[in-house]
Amino acid sequence: MRSGPWTLLKVTVAAIYLFILGPIAITAAVSFNATNRSFFPPRGFSLRWWGEAFSPQWIQPLMFSLELAALTAIIATVVGVPLAFAFQRYEFPGKAIIRTVTLGPLILPTLVTGIALLQFLTVIGLGRWLGYWALLIGHVIICLPFSVRTIAISLQAMPGSVEQAATNLGAGPLAVLRYVTFPLIMPGVFAGMAFAFIHSFTDINMSLFIARPGQRPVTVAIMSFLDFGFAPTLAALSILSLLIPLVLVALLGRFVGIGNFLYQEQGRG
Amino acid sequence: MAEPALRLESLVKRFGTHAAVAGIDLAVAPGEFVTLLGPSGCGKTTTLNLIAGFLMPDGGHIELNGRRIEELPPFKRDLGMVFQDYALFPHMTVTDNVAFGLKMRKVATDEIARRVSEALMLVKLDGFGARRPNQLSGGQRQRVALARALVIRPTMLLLDEPLSNLDLKLREEMRTEISTLQRRLGIATVFVTHDQGEALTMSDRIAVMQDGRIEQIGTPADIYERPATRFVASFIGSINMVAGTVAGSAAADGLTRVETAAGPALARVGGNIPSGREVALTIRPERLKLAEPGAAPDGAVAWNATVERVVYTGARLEVQLRLADGTPAMAEMTNDGTAAFETGEAVVAWFRPGDAWVIAAAG
Repeated sequence: MRSGPWTLLKVTVAAIYLFILGPIAITAAVSFNATNRSFFPPRGFSLRWWGEAFSPQWIQPLMFSLELAALTAIIATVVGVPLAFAFQRYEFPGKAIIRTVTLGPLILPTLVTGIALLQFLTVIGLGRWLGYWALLIGHVIICLPFSVRTIAISLQAMPGSVEQAATNLGAGPLAVLRYVTFPLIMPGVFAGMAFAFIHSFTDINMSLFIARPGQRPVTVAIMSFLDFGFAPTLAALSILSLLIPLVLVALLGRFVGIGNFLYQEQGRG
Repeated sequence: MAEPALRLESLVKRFGTHAAVAGIDLAVAPGEFVTLLGPSGCGKTTTLNLIAGFLMPDGGHIELNGRRIEELPPFKRDLGMVFQDYALFPHMTVTDNVAFGLKMRKVATDEIARRVSEALMLVKLDGFGARRPNQLSGGQRQRVALARALVIRPTMLLLDEPLSNLDLKLREEMRTEISTLQRRLGIATVFVTHDQGEALTMSDRIAVMQDGRIEQIGTPADIYERPATRFVASFIGSINMVAGTVAGSAAADGLTRVETAAGPALARVGGNIPSGREVALTIRPERLKLAEPGAAPDGAVAWNATVERVVYTGARLEVQLRLADGTPAMAEMTNDGTAAFETGEAVVAWFRPGDAWVIAAAG
C-alpha cells in the first residue's frame, strides 16, 4: 500500500463516514433505552419509546408532515414541469428575472424566506386567514427550485435530435411530448418530486414561522419538545423521520430509475 | 426530364444578418442520390433542415413531387431522415423505434409487425428487435436509424452526415451498404457530408457549397476533373495550381494556350475564355508525371522542376516539387518500384494537355 497522501485520504474518508453514520447509529441505539434518560450505550432494552413515538401526540404531526410534503411535492412538480420547459426551451422577456426568483430560495437562507413570507402575509392581511395554505405556499416556494432544476437538467440532457426524429417520423407536437419527451424526462420529474418531498419533510426553518398550533409539522414538534431535554422518544422519532425519505427514495429508485439524478448531475438512458 | 422529386428554388435562410443559405437552386431527380458537400458553416446542414422543415426559410420555395411544402410542418412532410447522432429513442426497443413512424401513421398492427421485420431484414438486423439502442454498436444503431427512416416509405431520404460517428473501416462498409440500398429502393436522396471521399463514391451528383451557395453541381467526375472554381478544385482532393494568362482562343479540340511563370502550356478549357484573361492552370497530382531532364514524351507540356521531398505513403509516393518560378507542386505516383527520385534532383514535370484544366473564375 502506498503511504502519505493515500493514508491521509483514507483516514479522511473514514472520518466522514464515521461522522455521518455514527450519530445515526447512536440515536438508533438510544431509542431502545429502558431508562428515562438518553444513555449510550443504552441501559436495558425496551420498545417503550417507540410505542410513545407512535402515540397520537407524535403520529399526528408526523402524518401532517407527510401530507404537507406530498402535497408540496405534487404542486412543485405540476408547476415545475412547465417552468422548466419555459426556462430550457423558450426565450421571453423577463426570463432572467423569473428564473432568478424561482431558483432564489435555493441559495437564500430558508429562515429569511420564512420571515419574509410571514411579514408579507401580515402586511397584506392574509396572515391569520390563510393558515394551512400559507404553510403550503411557503413549502412550495422553497421546494420548487429542486423540481425545476432537476427537470431542466433532464431536458437539457436529452439530445434535441430525438424530438426532431419523432417529428420527422410524423409525430405532431403532442405526440412528441407523449411518446418521446415525457418518457425521457420522467426519471428527472420523479427525482425532482422526491427532492421536493424530502426538502419539505425535513424543513424546519419555514415551518417555524408559518405553522400554527394544531398544524405543526413533526420537525416543529420535535423542536418544541427539545425544550424539555432530549428524551429517547425523540431518538425513536428521529429514526422514523429518517426512514421515511429513505424508503421513498429506494422505491422511486427501484421503479423509475431516479438514481442517476440523486447521485450524479445528469441521467441518460 | 421527369418532374424532379425535390426542387429548391432561390432558397434563403438568414440567422440575424448572416445568410446561412443565400439563394440555392437545386433539382433532385426521382431515385437520384445528390450530395451537399462543403466545409462546416457552408450551409449544407441548414439546407437539409429547411427541407426537413426544422427551419423555416426566409425566402424561396421547396417542392416535393411538384407540391410546395415550405409551409408544411415537419411531421406532415413525409421525409425519412437519418441524423448524425442517429437520434434513436433510448427508451424504446429496436422494434418500437422502427415501428414509430408507422404507429404515427395509424398503420394496422399486423402490417406494422410485417413491415418492421422487413425493414430490419433489409438492414441485416433481424433478430435484434428486442434490444435497446444502448445495447447496439455504432454500426447497428446506424442501421436501425436507416430502417426507421425507410420503413415509412418516405417520398425521399435525407441523410445528415450519418457516417461521421463511425470508425474508418465501418464507415467504408456503410458507404457501400447505403449506396446499394438506395439504388435498390430507387429512393431520391439528399446526403450531407464534409467528407469528399463519401461524396465522390456515393453520389450521382455532388453540389459543392460554400458561404451558403452552391459553387458547382455535377457528377463526381465533373467536380473532380472539371472544377468550376478554385474553391471546388482545392476542396476536393489535392491539386496543383499555377497562375497564368490565356494566350489566344480555344482551338477546336478544346485546348487553349496558357502562359505561366513555370513555362508555356496547353490545357483543356470549358467554354471560351478571352485571350489575356488571368486564370489558374490546374493539374491533379496523379496526372503530373516526372522524367529525367529532356525525357518528356512528345506532345506533352514539360516544365523544369526540382525535387524537394519524397513522401512515402505505402502504396503511393508523393513527390513534392518546386517549379522553375518557385511555385510548389506535387506529383503522386504508384509505388511500383520504378520510381526513384531524390531530394534536390532536377527533373521535368510533364503532363498531357488534356490532363490540365483551366479555371477562369476568380475566387
